[in-house]
Amino acid sequence: MVVPKSEEEEEEKEKEEEEEEKKEEEEGQGQPTGNTWWQKLQIMSEYLWDPERRMFLARTGQSWSLILLIYFFFYASLAAVITLCMYTLFLTISPYIPTFTERVKPPGVMIRPFAHSLNFNFNVSEPDTWQHYVISLNGFLQGYNDSLQEEMNVDCPPGQYFIQDGDEDEDKKACQFKRSFLKNCSGLEDPTFGYSTGQPCILLKMNRIVGFRPELGDPVKVSCKVQRGDENDIRSIRYYPESASFDLRYYPYYGKLTHVNYTSPLVAMHFTDVVKNQAVPVQCQLKGKGIINDVINDRFVGRVIFTLNIET
Amino acid sequence: MELGWKKGAAAPQGQNPRQIPIKGPKPSKKKMKRKKKKRDTEELKKEVVMDDHKLTLEELSTKYSVNLTTGHSHQRAKEILIRDGPNTLTPPPTTPEWVKFCKQLFGGFSLLLWTGAILCFVAYGIQIYFNEEPAKDNLYLSIVLTVVVVITGCFSYYQEAKSSKIMESFKNMVPQQALVIREGEKMQINVQDVVLGDLVEIKGGDRIPADLRLISARGCKVDNSSLTGESEPQSRSTDFTHENPLETRNICFFSTNCVEGTARGIVIATGDSTVMGRIASLTSGLEVGQTPIAAEIEHFIRLITVVAVFLGVTFFVLSLLLGYGWLEAIIFLIGIIVANVPEGLLATVTVCLTLTAKRMAKKNCLVKNLEAVETLGSTSIICSDKTGTLTQNRMIVAHMWFDETVYEVDTSEEQTGKTFANNSDTWFILAQIAGLCNRADFKPNQETLPIAKRATTGDASESALLKFIEQSYSSVAEMRKKNPKVAEIPFNSTNKYQMSIHFREDGSQTHVLMMKGAPERILEFCSTFLLHGQEYSMDNELKEDFQNAYLELGGLGERVLGFCFLNLPSSFSKGFPFNTDEMNFPMDNLCFVGLISMIDPPRTTVPDAVNKCRSAGIKVIMVTGDHPITAEAIAKRVGIISENTETAEEVAARLRIPVSKVNPRDAKAIVVHGSQLKDLHSEQLDQILRNHTEIVFARTSPQQKLIIVEGCQRLGAIVAVTGDGVNDSPALKKADIGIAMGISGSDVSKQAADMILLDDNFASIVTGVEEGRLIFDNLKKSIMYTLTSNIPEITPFLVFIILGVPLPLGTITILCIDLGTDMVPAISLAYESAESDIMKRRPRNPKMDKLVNRRLISMAYGQIGMIQAVAGFFTYFVIMAENGFRPIDLLGIRLYWEDKFLNDLEDSYGQQWTYEQRKVVEFTCQTAFFVTIVLVQWADLIVSKTRRNSVFQQGMRNKILIFGILEETFLAAFLSYTPGMDVALRMYPLKISWWFCALPYSILIFVYDEIRKLLIRQRPGGWVERETYY
Repeated sequence: MVVPKSEEEEEEKEKEEEEEEKKEEEEGQGQPTGNTWWQKLQIMSEYLWDPERRMFLARTGQSWSLILLIYFFFYASLAAVITLCMYTLFLTISPYIPTFTERVKPPGVMIRPFAHSLNFNFNVSEPDTWQHYVISLNGFLQGYNDSLQEEMNVDCPPGQYFIQDGDEDEDKKACQFKRSFLKNCSGLEDPTFGYSTGQPCILLKMNRIVGFRPELGDPVKVSCKVQRGDENDIRSIRYYPESASFDLRYYPYYGKLTHVNYTSPLVAMHFTDVVKNQAVPVQCQLKGKGIINDVINDRFVGRVIFTLNIET
Repeated sequence: MELGWKKGAAAPQGQNPRQIPIKGPKPSKKKMKRKKKKRDTEELKKEVVMDDHKLTLEELSTKYSVNLTTGHSHQRAKEILIRDGPNTLTPPPTTPEWVKFCKQLFGGFSLLLWTGAILCFVAYGIQIYFNEEPAKDNLYLSIVLTVVVVITGCFSYYQEAKSSKIMESFKNMVPQQALVIREGEKMQINVQDVVLGDLVEIKGGDRIPADLRLISARGCKVDNSSLTGESEPQSRSTDFTHENPLETRNICFFSTNCVEGTARGIVIATGDSTVMGRIASLTSGLEVGQTPIAAEIEHFIRLITVVAVFLGVTFFVLSLLLGYGWLEAIIFLIGIIVANVPEGLLATVTVCLTLTAKRMAKKNCLVKNLEAVETLGSTSIICSDKTGTLTQNRMIVAHMWFDETVYEVDTSEEQTGKTFANNSDTWFILAQIAGLCNRADFKPNQETLPIAKRATTGDASESALLKFIEQSYSSVAEMRKKNPKVAEIPFNSTNKYQMSIHFREDGSQTHVLMMKGAPERILEFCSTFLLHGQEYSMDNELKEDFQNAYLELGGLGERVLGFCFLNLPSSFSKGFPFNTDEMNFPMDNLCFVGLISMIDPPRTTVPDAVNKCRSAGIKVIMVTGDHPITAEAIAKRVGIISENTETAEEVAARLRIPVSKVNPRDAKAIVVHGSQLKDLHSEQLDQILRNHTEIVFARTSPQQKLIIVEGCQRLGAIVAVTGDGVNDSPALKKADIGIAMGISGSDVSKQAADMILLDDNFASIVTGVEEGRLIFDNLKKSIMYTLTSNIPEITPFLVFIILGVPLPLGTITILCIDLGTDMVPAISLAYESAESDIMKRRPRNPKMDKLVNRRLISMAYGQIGMIQAVAGFFTYFVIMAENGFRPIDLLGIRLYWEDKFLNDLEDSYGQQWTYEQRKVVEFTCQTAFFVTIVLVQWADLIVSKTRRNSVFQQGMRNKILIFGILEETFLAAFLSYTPGMDVALRMYPLKISWWFCALPYSILIFVYDEIRKLLIRQRPGGWVERETYY
């Protein structure tokens, strides 16, 4: 084996080879065993270490060092080549704007609280069953605290894109999205986000895509309904902000390198009256131009499906 | 021939020191333990022993309790038939078709794939047990592996079944009849009903129905060539002439042919206990060794397994250290081991061998066993039978001696039809005697055929004379019409001459007596001799000339006949009642005319072929049942003993010292007589085989042929045996490759052989050797090409485990390479022409020169494969980066990337991806990785075309290879761009620019390897060659 490997590894390989030969011997091919077995073992041990010619694995120390050296140079040059190639690659790629965005479009959708499951199962009277949702939401909304938003971000005019011309590498400002926009689902008035009353809040956000702009005057809207079964299982949902839409001022997104404090806009769904003690499948869809919400393969593009099972 | 005995060392008298009584019907049908069977085979290897030929008729009569005139009673015959079974050879135990099929399905390479399939299935089982919704990759992989093995198994089974069908067409299905005497009546019965002790009558043209001891014979001659290799028919009489049953005159052997005459004999052995039957059972009892290519593939599998297990275990440990769970680690272990299995190689090797087999079949070499295709290429010793293989197996006039001059006659196969022009009157008389004193005749309705090809009736030497006279002098039929025969004494072994009396055509109303026969006998009758048409009285000078000519022609291994005549005085005019019994005519003081000598001449192409074999480093040994003189003469004519070498006897003659004092080193050539061989120990035989470059074994028995083959194999040689007779079949079977003759070969020999020369031409073997060597080289290249892509296939998985990046190359894409794009190019390498004159180098040393050696692995895995892997990763990183995932951010992303519930995974730009969206990117990367491998495989293919030469020297003439490059590229494009592939195979269309990522690496591979080969060429034996020349 010329491939340079540490000597231990080689030894291990030899052992394996030996084992194989042993197996072969056991199978036996009608030859007188014993004698040949011993001979093979001797040949093998001589192959491992030949004291006469001072050879390890049929190579002298000099031969080993030469081959290892050559391989070292070979791989070093190969490393140099790939480094050069990667360097040229980075020359052609902008750190601010991705080269292609077609694979990440149309935008996907995700909800909070997120607990590695899309089944919201809880018992209103047992706080233990919903406490982790509250903690998750609270944690998620820390970045949306009004004070923080006011300090970091600007209050930009609603209903229009927040376009910031200028060089690619210039830092961009971000629009405020305050926690208080979420009203009853902000956790400010009701720290349990409605879970304690069986009226859970679920936040929905659209995946960020650099340069994505909803159509002017037609912001992306969110609407939820029962996915399968009786539509009356959900008697009312309240959306915050009340428009149930993502305001145009949060677009376009300029990428995380320059658009440092960008906070994704949210829409909170407040399921104020849902049938209890039964699993209700809910589908929330985005609606608007440039949005696709019926891809069969991907159930998170333009929509999200989850179940609510509120026990009392 | 007689002369041969003078010179032939130690006439085989007093043989058989090891007498073992012949056994009854061999109990081979019964189930026996292996050891017993082995001992049986050993026994069969010993010489044939029987004593029936020594017994008197009375003793025979009592031994077989049969009346020698009336034969058995029907009742008795029936009893014996029931006791001994039918008089047929037990057919060799045929392997049932399903066993053959299973051998194809589970043999050698397939085993590796089966192991892979089972491992995958186990891995899938583990996954299913612990994970509700596992990736189906392992399941698919195990199914695909199974399908591949089954399909290739079916394919090679079909191929072999096809050639065995051709074999079956050789079989002669006509049932044979025999004429037996029972209860005093002659009756025709089927040969299988003949029983021990039966009285059998045979006549010219019959096949001998069993081993017979003759009790009466009239001019009986048998053709024993299939048993002993002697081309000439042997006369048979009732006399016990030799200790050796094979040589004594009073025994005829089962399944040999009676050429002429009639005889009656008593059956002394039937079926499997006949001499022929013993040889046949010896043949079928032999265990055949592994073919060289099978050994090579086993070695290759071992190498691959070691690498696979080593890699697997290393990364198993590594993944455990990296904090993966046990189960995951085991899945990885299995995955890595399986990834090392070259799925497509089995099919590639099979197809390559099939292609070569087809190519050889076109050149008249029919290969029965696919693996035998390569064996000829590795052959280092060819043991060739003489009769029918090296020679034309027909007698032909070679020389004449008259007017004190030796004339040579054209003996080539396609005798150009030149007539022998000589105006000497002696020639006219000689021709007349040869034509008239001759019992052979052309069979009717052959006027359109060239004379040499016409079939004749009668003895081979008489036919030779007939054809020769017809061709060189004039129509024999006309001659005979003009000079009607009035009396004749046919040839027999006691008087050793043939005489006939003819009416003279010239109107003198007298008769002429003509005689031919053994020269010394003829000379005894003569008192005068003819010189340029004039009669001179015999003198010592003439006698000396005669002796010299006789010795010269006899020394050429030719069969010499003398001719003389006598014009009978007018007292024996027309109508004289000649009586050959009372001899009422003079038969002395004849006039000696000349000698004609005949030989079974070598085929025209053989000397050239032998020469080519020699320059290819292959030792050609002649092993024949014929006499040493004839064998040596033919060996000299075809170059098996080359011009400059001498045998010990010749050295002795030249230096005028006794043979025993000759330095064995001076005598490169040796002629070994069967009787000498019998007394040799195996060490002594090895000594002979090792120390002499040019060897002829004469007068060998089938068992000795076997011993010779075994001796050669003991020396580590790969032995090819050619032969056509039954006597060759044990050796054919034992040889690494047995080559039988398609036209003249016996069924038994064809069954025992691995390859059949459809045109019986020894020169086809040279083609076979060439093809075999070429395919070995080309298989190396093919395996180099195929193995190289293993590295870019395995490394993605390793990187996936170690660095936690999204999987750069998936199972489906790996299969697309191994079973899709790589196939045609790998096969196309089988069409590659040789780099140098492969017939000028020595045969490979099976111990040192392996099909797959560590240099090949080092090149494929360590160097070219690594460059390819780097190319693949470069493309992968380009696509990932252009879609938003920079290499740095990919490290360790695996857990998040694979999380189906994480649908807002952030990339390097802060964009968020759903699971499916990023999977599409991952699969696009895999498609691109796949395309990259295809593109770097271009370079690898071109680089693999040659092992030493530059591509610029070799050229790009291999059209299949160019087709292969186009095909794999189109296939890659098809897989990437066809709508629906995203659903079917999860392959996605690529941007044009991504195709170019591989190009720099393709160029790098090409340049790197060209430089390597340049160094190999410039410094033969240098470090680069020692380390990288595979």
